[in-house]
Amino acid sequence: MAMTRGRRAMLEKEAAAPEPPAGAAATSEEDEEAPEEVTFERARAAAETERRRAGDTARRDRELLKEKRRQREELFKEQKKRKLLPENVLEELTSGAQINNNNLSDTTKQGENRNESENKNEERHTGQDNRRNKRVVRFKGNYMAVCLKDQDLTSQHQKMAKDFVQSHLYGPGTNRTTANQFFSFVNKKSPLKKAAVQFVNKYWGSEEKQKAKQFKKHWMSTKKKKNKKLR
Amino acid sequence: MGEFQVHRVRFFAYVPAGIRCVAHSTRSARLALARTNGALEVYNFAANYFQEKGIPGHETRSTEALCWAAGDRLFGAGLGGDISEYDLEKLRVKYSLDGFGGPIWSMAADPSGTELAVGCEDGSVKLFQVLPDKIQFERSLDRQKGRVMSLSWHPSGTRIAVGSIDLLRVFDVKSGHAIQRILVDRRLRGLYSCECVVWSVAFLSNGTIVSSDSVGKVQFWDSEKGTLLETHPVSSSAVLCLAVSEEEDSIVVGTSEGAVYQFQLLPVKWGSAESKWVRTKPFQHHTHDVRAVAHSATALISGGLDAQLVIRPLMEKMHGKGYDAALRKFTFPHRRLVSCAKKAGLLLFQFPQHLELWRLGATNSAGKDGDILPVSRAPEHLLQLKSKGPEHICCSCISLCGSWIAYSTASRLHLHRVHWENGSVSLKRVSKVPKLLSSAHQLLCSADSTSLFVASDQGAVHVLKLLEPGSCGHLQTLRPNSGSAEAVYLLAASADGDWLAAASGDWEINIYSLRQFKPHCTVPAYNCAVTALAIHPVTNNLVITHSDQQVFEFSIPDREYTTWSRKVQQHGLHKGWLERDTPITHIAFNPKQPAHILLHDTHMFCVLDKSLPLPDDATPLMNQTTLKQLSEKARRGYAHAFKICKKYQPLLFVDLLEEGSLVVVERPLMDIKTQLPPPVQQKKFGT
Repeated sequence: MAMTRGRRAMLEKEAAAPEPPAGAAATSEEDEEAPEEVTFERARAAAETERRRAGDTARRDRELLKEKRRQREELFKEQKKRKLLPENVLEELTSGAQINNNNLSDTTKQGENRNESENKNEERHTGQDNRRNKRVVRFKGNYMAVCLKDQDLTSQHQKMAKDFVQSHLYGPGTNRTTANQFFSFVNKKSPLKKAAVQFVNKYWGSEEKQKAKQFKKHWMSTKKKKNKKLR
Repeated sequence: MGEFQVHRVRFFAYVPAGIRCVAHSTRSARLALARTNGALEVYNFAANYFQEKGIPGHETRSTEALCWAAGDRLFGAGLGGDISEYDLEKLRVKYSLDGFGGPIWSMAADPSGTELAVGCEDGSVKLFQVLPDKIQFERSLDRQKGRVMSLSWHPSGTRIAVGSIDLLRVFDVKSGHAIQRILVDRRLRGLYSCECVVWSVAFLSNGTIVSSDSVGKVQFWDSEKGTLLETHPVSSSAVLCLAVSEEEDSIVVGTSEGAVYQFQLLPVKWGSAESKWVRTKPFQHHTHDVRAVAHSATALISGGLDAQLVIRPLMEKMHGKGYDAALRKFTFPHRRLVSCAKKAGLLLFQFPQHLELWRLGATNSAGKDGDILPVSRAPEHLLQLKSKGPEHICCSCISLCGSWIAYSTASRLHLHRVHWENGSVSLKRVSKVPKLLSSAHQLLCSADSTSLFVASDQGAVHVLKLLEPGSCGHLQTLRPNSGSAEAVYLLAASADGDWLAAASGDWEINIYSLRQFKPHCTVPAYNCAVTALAIHPVTNNLVITHSDQQVFEFSIPDREYTTWSRKVQQHGLHKGWLERDTPITHIAFNPKQPAHILLHDTHMFCVLDKSLPLPDDATPLMNQTTLKQLSEKARRGYAHAFKICKKYQPLLFVDLLEEGSLVVVERPLMDIKTQLPPPVQQKKFGT
């Protein structure tokens, strides 16, 4: 990196250095020499060639640009094709949409030449029209194509609504108690004292119990083997 | 009473879901009930409060409001933002329509039943028109700020009262504008006031609006002037729901503390025209929040998060102390949740999202009557089978030998082959289950485990052949001659594999011959719901129990009621038996005692001995304890056909295993209550 920077600096120096003397020389020489005689014919021919060359380069540039553009366009097309689903899937999808909504069919027919943004717009449009009536297409296999975006939205709304109910029924300030305490109140005044309703949570230490059970099994089997050997 | 070795099973950890909303229809005398897990149930009051229909729940569906409209059509709306109509014949959601207003909190049908108003999260009230086979968006009333928690139509159908957060609004339906805005006072908590949610409103025909809110007050407002008429502080926690009787003289409210209160419009003085709302009766039947109440003509109906449906008849509307005046409590579904592999000693438990397979314990000691035997082999949890997807399981079954497990969700039937290899269990899913067009409502395996019966829509029963290495094929579809529109909900197959009985939602029982796959005959119609069916393994008699506790025996080969059944009808059943309030949900037989029929409901288990005389109303029905104290000879004189045992309660399932021991599946209520969400603390004096 350091070397390349150094080289570039050198080049710049080289380019900058010879200029002032050359310029100075040219001015001095031009001053001294008489203007070269050029015939009118030759001058015209030179001017014409010059003009032709300029025209040629301009045309070439334009063609190059055109070529470039065409290539880019092809690339885009290729990319779009790659992004889209296979042809038959698309066909089924559009036919499904036609059944659902007649006025949509016009937009879906133009499917070939619409670009990416249009595509998105349309999707949103259809989504609003039949949000819950999700476009479901059945294929030969066990697969279904479902528009997920809108479902997410409804499930989010649903979740918010459920949270609202939850916070109002069970949130802070609702004065909730545990089942154990609630049902054990009877015990306090009754002459016959019983154990609490949930005296022991059965799920406590279930792992340890499992381990102990397995250990016992293992221990028993080893003991049996030992006994056999002793005999 | 016969003596059995009893497996007392208490490891079925079933917790019913809480009740979210109810809707009562006076026209058809039915109650629709939605649970917090999205399940829907319909109870028929005319058929002795039997749970007639059930639609399984769904993970993403949560119903917040139910209403009957346009005759007997049932609509529901929930936090998913959909309004759906239920198909009560095919037992599924018929269609659903997006409300486009976010989650829906409330819904009410207008008095004529042609329009639905829904209150949405975004603060809009939308009107939907009820058309013959669909609903259509009509228009939206002016959108206001704040979610619409509750709404109610004025009986004239011109105004709608809307309860929101901190305020009440009155809308004019014609113009769609809000014409009145009433602020509800908040509760002060320390220095801050917290928002007040108007959980429920009711619009009375004289222009009074009744509101119940999270502050714990029931308030009466004048809708014209927007002024407060009366305030009744009911509870220190929220008042969650409210319902008005049709005559508008009685209101029922439910609170977070589990109490239900009745308000009555009573004259201030004897004979004066001026009347006032008075809080009259408190009821404390629930331990947890009461989120749904309804008011029928003669009873208060309340459903709580403790999963209990309570029907409390109003004594002033009753004529004398009778059978109708009794309090009803329903906690468990009137459907079978347990199936038993009799030969293998296995139990299959059905939960909303999974199945559990257990092997029963065993003992090697013997004892005398009443002894508790030590368990030498503990019951073993063999398998847990989780169902994929958001749909809940609606029915399940295990074959008698325990080698096939089938279950069904609303959209798919799943079949599994269970392999038993020296003590270990492995499960293989049958991949190619024939795709049936409609969902299964009930499943049953034949006695020899070679075919599976799938109850379906329109009275049809599909017969699937179970093939040995683990595959199956569709064999036949049995359809009734009558062309019933209702789904089949009960099945019974004979032990010899010749007969199949199917009861559909219109209470018709069809008997099919499985040799020819043809309808054999139908049982004469009886105008009460069928609660259980079974075919006797020896005599091929079909035993039918109805929700009014009648027991019939129908001989399939002779196509007529048996002489015993005729005798029972002539003699009449015991009064104590007819007054039982829970339906018989399962029938079993004892192959060693062909004259015995084993019946059970939630609170008792009964051996019906056909060889003994029927009891009169004068003799006590439950006489087992007194009989035990008598000598052998004296016992014979007093014994009658009903031998009832109430030792095991509440019962979910009773069946007799192959080796002769009895399986009793209990689910103590206290075990359920401790699993429920936390209740509100209540101050009790002296504690």
